[in-house]
Amino acid sequence: MDISIQFKKGALELCVLVLIHEHDRYGYELAQSVSQHIEVAEGALYPLLRRLVGEGYCTTYLQESTEGPPRKYYKLTPEGEHYMKKLVIEWKQFVRSVSNLIERGSRL
Amino acid sequence: MNKSEFLAQLHDHLSVLPPEERNELMEDFEAHFTFALQNGKSEEEIASELGNPAELAKEAIDGRFAPKEPVYWFNPDTPPAPPAPENPKRAHRRSGFATTMVYIGLIFLNMIAVPLLLSAWAVGVSVAAVAIGGLISPLALGLDYLAGNGFFAGKSFAVVSCVGVGILFALASRYVFKLLIRISNSYWAWNVRVGKGGEEHE
Repeated sequence: MDISIQFKKGALELCVLVLIHEHDRYGYELAQSVSQHIEVAEGALYPLLRRLVGEGYCTTYLQESTEGPPRKYYKLTPEGEHYMKKLVIEWKQFVRSVSNLIERGSRL
Repeated sequence: MNKSEFLAQLHDHLSVLPPEERNELMEDFEAHFTFALQNGKSEEEIASELGNPAELAKEAIDGRFAPKEPVYWFNPDTPPAPPAPENPKRAHRRSGFATTMVYIGLIFLNMIAVPLLLSAWAVGVSVAAVAIGGLISPLALGLDYLAGNGFFAGKSFAVVSCVGVGILFALASRYVFKLLIRISNSYWAWNVRVGKGGEEHE
């Protein structure tokens, strides 16, 4: 249980970057999109988003909406896009290596 | 836990953050509640989906101190050196077999090269010895005279030419030793570089 929480936290950053790369999203929308795919404490999103902004991978802008308060949208910067692509490659390599290792272990 | 309880707990746990940062985060969470309530969720449901306020606060506090740039202790105006681990040449590691072979190769090479280098040093030492011998030859002439072998002009002419040769060799030995030190140093450095592996000549 605890371990899988750690997995998800590690993957959350990548998921968020990919989702924002698809199109600009606001916080609640991101929370919903993420929880469609992985079960994670949605609140972890907001510290993460702040960090991404702080590191220059994302920028934010406010947009009025017909219902409810204005939405804070997150947009990927060119550095953010570069970082995301790097993370995706690393993630794929990592998953492949771990899967290979598990395969080998299960054959014994 | 309802909305106000959740936000109050979060607010408490975030108290170490500067007020403007804390307020921004609080606004994010308040907006989350607003949007989720619009979607027909209950406050309790939203709070449990968000997670434990104490843990969320901890993440917010831990995450913000992670510096993107490494910390420099020197002049901040100097351009940052490229980070070493990103250099593919350095990251490249030799296999165990190749390392063993490189060491064996170096040992065989050194079996020949080191004696050669030593004999070059011997040449240097003998040049210096000739210089010293030439320079102290008047002393030998003095001793010869004191030993009672008498004086005759041929010996003193020989001593004069010996001193001349000594001066020339003394000058030469300076260059010889400089050259030997340079060769030895660069040979040693080359050995170290090849032994460590993974780097090319600069």
